[in-house]
Amino acid sequence: MRETAMRSQKQSSSWLNIGKDFNTMTWVLMPVAIAINMAVGQIVATLRLPVYLDSIGTVLVGVICGPWAGALTGALANTILGLTINPDFLPWWPVAAIIGLVSGICANYGLFKSWWKVVVSGFIIALAAAISSVPISLLVYGGITAGGTGMITAFLVESGRGIVQAVFASSFLTEPVDKITTALLAFAILQGLSKRFLARLPRPENVETDEKISRNQLLIAVGVVVLLILFAIFLLGRLTGAA
Amino acid sequence: MHERLSFFVKRDSPIHRLNPMTKAVMALSLVLIAFLSPWYWTPLALFLFVILPLSLVARVAREYWNFILKVILPTLIILFIMQAFFLPGESRSIFEVFGLEITELSARLAFRNVMRILVMISSFTILLLTTHPSELMSDLSRRGLPGQFAYVVISSLQIIPQMQAKAQTIISAQRSRGLDTQSSFLRRVGGILPLVGPLVFGSLVEVEERAIAIEARGFTSTRPKTFLREIQDTSFDRALRWALIACVILTLILRIWLS
Repeated sequence: MRETAMRSQKQSSSWLNIGKDFNTMTWVLMPVAIAINMAVGQIVATLRLPVYLDSIGTVLVGVICGPWAGALTGALANTILGLTINPDFLPWWPVAAIIGLVSGICANYGLFKSWWKVVVSGFIIALAAAISSVPISLLVYGGITAGGTGMITAFLVESGRGIVQAVFASSFLTEPVDKITTALLAFAILQGLSKRFLARLPRPENVETDEKISRNQLLIAVGVVVLLILFAIFLLGRLTGAA
Repeated sequence: MHERLSFFVKRDSPIHRLNPMTKAVMALSLVLIAFLSPWYWTPLALFLFVILPLSLVARVAREYWNFILKVILPTLIILFIMQAFFLPGESRSIFEVFGLEITELSARLAFRNVMRILVMISSFTILLLTTHPSELMSDLSRRGLPGQFAYVVISSLQIIPQMQAKAQTIISAQRSRGLDTQSSFLRRVGGILPLVGPLVFGSLVEVEERAIAIEARGFTSTRPKTFLREIQDTSFDRALRWALIACVILTLILRIWLS
């Protein structure tokens, strides 16, 4: 087990190694992941929680099959949502693709190996999703969408911010909770899968847990999270204050 | 088989008989023209003079209006109200309530945005009402899209209803075992794992079997494949596609030229 994992580590050292990531298991996993996205979204709606968690499948594929497989899953997931539920989902496919891509890249850098690293990944995914949703929100919807995020945008605009800053700020406010929870749930699922199953997928080495978590590492991670949050607040302040 | 999940309505109409690719190009060009056009009234004109006639010619007007009125219109109304109130724009105020005002400029902008979105959703709705997704995918793979893409889309369409049924079963099962899905916030958060876990693990177990099954049926074979159903592609289809692409390019040129 260990040997195969090490061998695959060598092969996939570059995250641009695309061909290897798309084996039959990946292709079969994709529709299941897309269905997981929708079904988990449905469960969360039943529980009336203030998150969507509708990209767990995308993150799973990104982590275990590489960034490009994750990006493709995200893009196709939104396309299929558009084909079956409401064409309103179609313009958002780049955001879903970015979520898959970034979660794959995070996993390749070893950020899916313990829970606190996963929190960091979730935060990075949220930042990427927020940034990529801004141009779509502006170009397609003129900035204010008809949902909870749109309400926050509207509030910020009313209190004197420019529309671009308001869209940025409201995305940054809403994304992290959703994406960190998504990443943690995906991590919990991956931990529950058997090693035999994981070994059939392209990148099992991405979820091998660290044997021992040293105290120093944990402190560094907490520091990184705090810094990221401070940076985000700083960024928010600059963005909203500039108007 | 799983018609419930797709919009597709089986009718006989000139639009249904068009090549799926032509209809996809038509939907995309309508969207692009609505968003790129330099004239304010283009989206409204497209809706009145292209999309409404199309829905009648395709004989799906009833289904189209059903979807638009029930699902899209409420969203669009909320969108219009929010945008009209909150989009920044200094001009003559036309309506004021609780210190919030709709100005002429913000109302104009809001109306344009709403019409654009209406055109976008309508043109895709008509595409989906007249084209079965699997027909579109098989036409795309005939034109060189790797078969794996078609597999992902088509099998998603089959797996999603199964998975939703499974999610409903798991919710009922866990409830009958006493899982609290309705009371306090923390209890509901605690409900995520016992609901998501069984669903995800159960469906991932099937993945390996399915992979072996489709590999045994030549999924990874690179030899040319034959198609069960022939899809017509007439010279009219081709001409229509080029005409639509020309319209989009013309709009783009006008947009750049006039700005």
